[in-house]
Amino acid sequence: MPGLRELQRAFSSSLRSEDASQTAAWVSANGLNGDRRIQIYRNNLVVTLTDALRSVYPVVERLVGDGFFRFAAHEFIHQYPSRHGNLHLFGHEFARFLSEFAAAKGHAYLPDVARLEWAQHEVYHAADHAPLEPQSLTVIGPDRYESLCFALHPARRLLHSSYPIMRIWEVNQAGFEGNQAVDLSAPGDRVLVLRIDREVKIHTLAPAEYQFLVTISNGKPLGQAVAAALEQDRDFDLTRCLVKHVQSSTLVDFSLA
Amino acid sequence: MASPTDGFTAQPIPAQAGIGLRSEHYREVIATRPAVGFFEIHSENFFGLGGAPHQYLENIRADYPLSFHGVGMSLGSVDPLSEQHSQRLKQLVDYYQPDLISEHLSWSSFNGQYFNDLLPVPYTPEALTHIVDRVQQIQDTLQRQILVENVSSYLQYTHSTIPEWEFVSQVAQQSGCGILLDVNNIYVNATNHDFDPRAFLGGVSAQLVKEIHLAGHSVNEFEDGSILIDTHDQLVCDEVWSLYRDAVRRLGPKPTLIEWDTNLPELAVLLDEANTAQTILEASHARVA
Repeated sequence: MPGLRELQRAFSSSLRSEDASQTAAWVSANGLNGDRRIQIYRNNLVVTLTDALRSVYPVVERLVGDGFFRFAAHEFIHQYPSRHGNLHLFGHEFARFLSEFAAAKGHAYLPDVARLEWAQHEVYHAADHAPLEPQSLTVIGPDRYESLCFALHPARRLLHSSYPIMRIWEVNQAGFEGNQAVDLSAPGDRVLVLRIDREVKIHTLAPAEYQFLVTISNGKPLGQAVAAALEQDRDFDLTRCLVKHVQSSTLVDFSLA
Repeated sequence: MASPTDGFTAQPIPAQAGIGLRSEHYREVIATRPAVGFFEIHSENFFGLGGAPHQYLENIRADYPLSFHGVGMSLGSVDPLSEQHSQRLKQLVDYYQPDLISEHLSWSSFNGQYFNDLLPVPYTPEALTHIVDRVQQIQDTLQRQILVENVSSYLQYTHSTIPEWEFVSQVAQQSGCGILLDVNNIYVNATNHDFDPRAFLGGVSAQLVKEIHLAGHSVNEFEDGSILIDTHDQLVCDEVWSLYRDAVRRLGPKPTLIEWDTNLPELAVLLDEANTAQTILEASHARVA
């Protein structure tokens, strides 16, 4: 008779492999045999985790089709097992998995699409934050602007892809009408994933604006962010960029370095 | 979600029918404010820190009492309880003040790996002691009573020595928790494991049962036999309604939830099911009065 730990060790190993013999020996063969009964739990596991991935990665699913998605999900579940009772935390390594998945090598843009969808998932659930009152900046003397460190809203993610992921994403939305062709050699996209009211949105950013926000999100002061933006574009307009991202609540707090 | 100090005040759940709140129905519930006794949520769906889920839930909580139903605590696992999971649940409980908080009598993780399923525990004295201790840990953390739910199972362990209803009752008596009696799960297990579902109803004390669940199940056919699977994807069947009538007769009227998770229909279908339960509850209230 197995103790609780021994039983759970054998049962979990039966869920991961095709060999259920040890657990099956502890199960009543009343009608269906033990292997069949454990197979039901093995199927449940795959269906639950595949559905969880499907709900986060609808565009990846649409791009590869149902059969391939289920095949990829099955491999992923075994390589990157769930680590939380909260299913919303499952699947963040899917982009990394796809970049290493031999069967997906023909679709080099897939990992970036997965990154975009994970960013949307995180932004949907991220914390709220009050907007920055523009007047609060007036107490900072101009001589200290360089060392201002801005904080991004928790529901903001920045992504840079060498593929036109914005276009790929758009033409794969339910209800999209029009030409679905995507020129994969088109320039890559820099995007900001954000939440406006309750809705998750994706905005494309100019290279300098993207560099500016990435530098800020890495905790660097304004002086460094401006320098990084100017490297991308000599005509980078700091005032316009600041006003835009304070007004849209992307920059929501500040401190002095 | 605002800070806990801005949270809600406690609101009791009446012995009426309620429905499981699913994201597909948020807008319609807010727009139409259906006449149900309460809403139940899956706690983990609100583990995120902000955004739409909390805005909708705050709006709904303003008008209805809530029940929190957990699917991820892994009560029966030999792994330590997840501190992160318990603490997040506590924050949500403190803020939303749900009247009922429940978890499943099952395990779902081992050695840090989660299977995100409700796996059966053996009904042994060792498992009983372990689960009683875990329930007490959770109740200590939350500073609240929880309910434990009997789950559907697709196998029985040969070394189980305690009938399921006695195991569930003992967990409640020894830990001080209540019972969430899932009548569909009783029916599924009675069919899968050849016992009389009325024996289960007769084996639990009316005082310990604080809530009832109703849901639909599916039949899986194999060449060597068939088995019922707790899929929550269809209407409550006639046999389960009949068992529910007996349960209400024996235990008295209890808050009753219609659960539906897969192939979710329109809100109206859930409300119809809740109405059927409500009619049975009212007949029982009338008898009591």
